[in-house]
Amino acid sequence: MILLKTTKLMKAFGGLIAINKIDIEVPRGEIRGIIGPNGSGKSTFFNLISGVYDPDLGSYIEFDGHDITNEPAHEIGALGLARTFQLLRLYQDMSVINNVMSGYHTRVSYSFTEAVLGRKKIWDKEKEIKDEMMELLSFVGLADFAEMNASELSGGQRRLLVLARAIASKPKLLMLDEPAAGLSPHNVDNLMKIIIQLKDKFGLTLIIIEHILKVVMDTCDAVTVFDHGQKIAEGTPAKVKDDNAVIEAYLGKKMNDDEMRKALAV
Amino acid sequence: MEKFKEIIRQYPFVGFIIAFLVLMAVPSIFFTDIYQSHLASLICINIIVAAGLNIVKGYCGQVTVGHVGLYAVGSYTAGCMFMYLGSDLWLTLPAAIIVTAFFGVIMGVPSLRLEGPYLALATLGGAEAIRLFIENGEFFGSTYGISNISQPVIFGMAFDTPDKYYYIAMPIMLIAVYFSFSVLKSSVGRAFMAIREDQISAAASGINVKKYKLLAFILSAMFAGAAGAVYAHFPPGYIHPNNYTVIEMITFLAMVVLGGLGHIWGGIIGAVVITIVYDITRPLYQYQLFIFGLTIVFTILFMPKGIGGFIDKYFIDKRFKKKKTEDKK
Repeated sequence: MILLKTTKLMKAFGGLIAINKIDIEVPRGEIRGIIGPNGSGKSTFFNLISGVYDPDLGSYIEFDGHDITNEPAHEIGALGLARTFQLLRLYQDMSVINNVMSGYHTRVSYSFTEAVLGRKKIWDKEKEIKDEMMELLSFVGLADFAEMNASELSGGQRRLLVLARAIASKPKLLMLDEPAAGLSPHNVDNLMKIIIQLKDKFGLTLIIIEHILKVVMDTCDAVTVFDHGQKIAEGTPAKVKDDNAVIEAYLGKKMNDDEMRKALAV
Repeated sequence: MEKFKEIIRQYPFVGFIIAFLVLMAVPSIFFTDIYQSHLASLICINIIVAAGLNIVKGYCGQVTVGHVGLYAVGSYTAGCMFMYLGSDLWLTLPAAIIVTAFFGVIMGVPSLRLEGPYLALATLGGAEAIRLFIENGEFFGSTYGISNISQPVIFGMAFDTPDKYYYIAMPIMLIAVYFSFSVLKSSVGRAFMAIREDQISAAASGINVKKYKLLAFILSAMFAGAAGAVYAHFPPGYIHPNNYTVIEMITFLAMVVLGGLGHIWGGIIGAVVITIVYDITRPLYQYQLFIFGLTIVFTILFMPKGIGGFIDKYFIDKRFKKKKTEDKK
């Protein structure tokens, strides 16, 4: 069962082709890692799928049987695709619990008129939502900070909070943009545990962009490698690790003796 | 006491009924002359405007300076309906709300493209255009204004003096505050806040940013329209284009900023304080604008969350300390 499928995905910013004809198929229940050097188009790829950018003509994105190529971001979110951002985009001036509760938005079951009239039913429902979100916060380990302002959290806690906010909508597909950036080794382990639990307990499909190879190698079922907007390798982590094209993209080309001599002679 | 708190938390309606009873009793106990009733009615009207402005400015984060234009639309809808059709408040109030909601859409459309100071300029242009249109329109009474607008009559009792009119303005204010309270406490309020903080992130959470921005403008316009209509019928029932200048707008902004942007009671606290201060400083009328400008600047510099945020912080600290001592035990 394919959950997300892109065909000939293209995006050019002026003369720069950020994403060049990428075809990807992500099956349900998989953790897919996306790696690649800086500027290889990983985040652009996320932005295209989640509707922040519109892809160029000829592209096609299918999510859960729906064509989402030119859908606006909020429609895609409502279909069950949640994401985090590399620069977090936390709601700084809101309490932690409100941050998570606003992620619940698409699942709220009462209508606007009911909310205006402020019936008791609404307050009960709000309380239910709050309890559920508190559970979610304790799952990521932030329950003690629920009433605090999000701007008062530490860097690591903020990363967990945006993760919790993304899960709050009960998505089918969760896309994490560098979830482990700037975390200490201990917190990275904690995050990896959470990611694996998300797959096993919640049955989520995940796509993860990450530079810390340990996270990618240990959690992902499959890895796709980007370079200069193109897909250069795909497969299991072990296979990708030994792929020549991947090593070249990260470390450069291996020189033969003649080339080495020329380079040194200069 | 705990049980009482729980009841109010479950049925906020009860709290408002209590507030209604208390406010009904206030004039006969505390007010000594008719001028205090006049001021109290004015506070009620300003609270309606400020509660509306808090929705769009405090919660949704859209910098609008055009609110006074919407207020004018509400007033003149009521005024014109009286002048040409002879309608009373019970008919002009809903009409003003509907017409102003329509103008709210127009005022909100620029917010889909513009942000910050640019949006402020666009909405300021809108407000001034409305005022000048009224001032130069024979139909609207041009610079003469509209006078002798009728006061409502209930069971043969005319509410034609400020001390009686208080009993009209106050319940309308409470209903408005109740609506703003229940909207902002629900998922709609959270969606507004999310848009204020980060639009891209809000869209990724499935919040339709354009829809909710327009909704915020429409809601706050309805509040402004209601306030405008109540103001038009306020004895002696006289409205003039000069009541809807940028200066009034700055007063409204000062209310919301001082009360606390994005605080659920922010607009209300601010409206009470500023209306009273405005009245006390009346002898110094040359410096009034200066004082309000300084108030806004100093509040933003030293108390960015206003009086409401200040009070909130006090209670959160208190709860935190209480919890800490309990943990130690």
